[in-house]
Amino acid sequence: MLIRLLSALLLLQQPAHRTIAIDERLAEDAHIAIGDKLVVSAKPGATSGDTVIVSAIVKRGADPAEIARSEYQVRMHLDQLQQVVAYGDRVDRFAIATRGDSATERALRDINASAFGFQAHRSRDIAVGTSRTFQVVSRFHKAIGVITIVASAIFLLCIMLLKVEERRRDVAALRLMGISRATVVKGIVAEAALLALIGCALGVGVGWIASQFINWFYQGVYRTPLYFSVITTPIVTLAVGLSLVLGIGAGLLASLRLVRTPPLKLFGR
Amino acid sequence: MRFSLAWSSLRRHGTRTLLATLGVAVAAAMLLDMVMMSTGLRESFRELLTSRGFQLRIAPKGTLPFDTDATIENTSAIVATLRANPNITTVSAVLGGTIHIPIGNRVVTSAALGIDPKVQGDYELISGRDPLGPNDIAGNDDFLKATGAKMGDTLDVASGYDPQLRTYAGSRKLVVTGRVRFIYGAANQLATAMQLATLQEMGGSDRKDDASLFMIKARNDSEVEGLRTWIWRNVPGVSVISTESALVEVDQRLSYFRQLALILGSVSLFVGFLLVTTLMTVSVNERISEITVMRALGVSRAHVVQQIVLEGVFITIGGAIAGLGLGLVTARYLNSILSSFPGLPVAIDFFLFQPRAAWMSLGLLSLSGIAAGVYPSYRAASLPIATTLRQEAIA
Repeated sequence: MLIRLLSALLLLQQPAHRTIAIDERLAEDAHIAIGDKLVVSAKPGATSGDTVIVSAIVKRGADPAEIARSEYQVRMHLDQLQQVVAYGDRVDRFAIATRGDSATERALRDINASAFGFQAHRSRDIAVGTSRTFQVVSRFHKAIGVITIVASAIFLLCIMLLKVEERRRDVAALRLMGISRATVVKGIVAEAALLALIGCALGVGVGWIASQFINWFYQGVYRTPLYFSVITTPIVTLAVGLSLVLGIGAGLLASLRLVRTPPLKLFGR
Repeated sequence: MRFSLAWSSLRRHGTRTLLATLGVAVAAAMLLDMVMMSTGLRESFRELLTSRGFQLRIAPKGTLPFDTDATIENTSAIVATLRANPNITTVSAVLGGTIHIPIGNRVVTSAALGIDPKVQGDYELISGRDPLGPNDIAGNDDFLKATGAKMGDTLDVASGYDPQLRTYAGSRKLVVTGRVRFIYGAANQLATAMQLATLQEMGGSDRKDDASLFMIKARNDSEVEGLRTWIWRNVPGVSVISTESALVEVDQRLSYFRQLALILGSVSLFVGFLLVTTLMTVSVNERISEITVMRALGVSRAHVVQQIVLEGVFITIGGAIAGLGLGLVTARYLNSILSSFPGLPVAIDFFLFQPRAAWMSLGLLSLSGIAAGVYPSYRAASLPIATTLRQEAIA
């Protein structure tokens, strides 16, 4: 009984270490596990600091602003961090949840009107301000997309022209049999549309696989849960619509060119 | 003979040849752009880092220069230690900060660098003079425009803003002495330079003897790595960054663009190859009787192969030459988009034209053009003459 009491007293005399949470990337790279003791300090290479215990390993958030930086993240109790970095009773920011849009507006107005030394911002305004990098990347992707569309259009036109020209003799035979130009054109356009439709289905499939691969690859490279490629309905609609228009347009142009040539010339006579 | 036959064959189907050449031109332009992007960014950054002859940079441990607000303390002692090394010819200590200039009822906020004007490597003087005095300030065009200040004007400049108390750690009147261009400045960034001691003093007691960065010139390039080790040993709590290690870090941060360049470059090359192969295959199919007659007349297989490969090469080279011009125009446009990348120096070019890149693109396309003609020409040259002639006669 006495021994137990003494042990309990000794345990009480030991300084109680605070707990921290670290991100999975730091845990993996530094081989840190839950329950490990660490010394944290605000100064690099400091010989002394605050001893803490790792109590949790947290998953990184999908924050685009963090992907280019290979920084580690540690979450501490507010007072603990203030003490470690000698920050006094100060904080960098407050995050406030409101009951809705109108409450947000009201809170924003009230804080900015009355609080001394504070500036309140809407989360979406901050998101716009901090996402300039991605706006630039997005503009770059759009420009690359336009070049790709131009290249695809020329490629498609070329292929359709070749495919239709391969049918010179068939078209000549049809025309000599009395089939009208309009029927021939309609037939070729229908074929082009079908071909474009099959191509679209294949393209959407390949795009989906490529998107999965891109996400898997870059999520691994940057060690983030962020999605780098997302296929949305408007994107699929645009791609399919554009391909159909280009395919049908190319088929129409090529077929018109063919039916205007005399059938005997198409036969090579 | 082979050249003229190949040329005549292409001219016979003018529209088709034109479209194929256009297709290859767009693919070539994209390929050139991607080759320029994959190598240009790195080269552009290297040029920027070495432009003023500083081979080493010292930043707070674990950071890159101006990546965070962290500073290095005891600047004077560190400068004295560094200058004691005979292999170091120049040491430039730089402190970064933010200054506020009240003008009427508005406040202009600008980046500020505290430097030693005699050894600085951060800006180029455009007009006026360096901020040699303790009350001098030099600004870039964006700063002068935002403040409306002219040479000789006096500005009330404050630093060390405390948002809670809405007070400044220090303020003083500074005279605009020069118009400068900051080498590492980002697009549309307001920036100024003043004496290191002036900015330190304005930052309050926290920044009394601080610096954000030291830039060092070594006597010889061969001594850089040795100096790096020496600094690690003698200056604790800092990261010593050479041009090469900075480039490795940049490579890592902007690896996305290199990977994108690799993927899109490969796709462009493949599309160009596919286009020429398809065209040549269809062209050969159309001319089976013509080729068989040539073979029957005694034209060798090698001749047929060469003629068809030449047709592919003509299209590819024609497209590549057109693509070179197109690629330079699109590179300029794409560069203008990426130059607004936040935090990157405006002097960085994502698409840097290097003759090597152009030759590499042309070489790759020529190879793909030759490869594109191989299968159709092989097929054409392997046709059994008698059987094919009979089939064509029946058809």
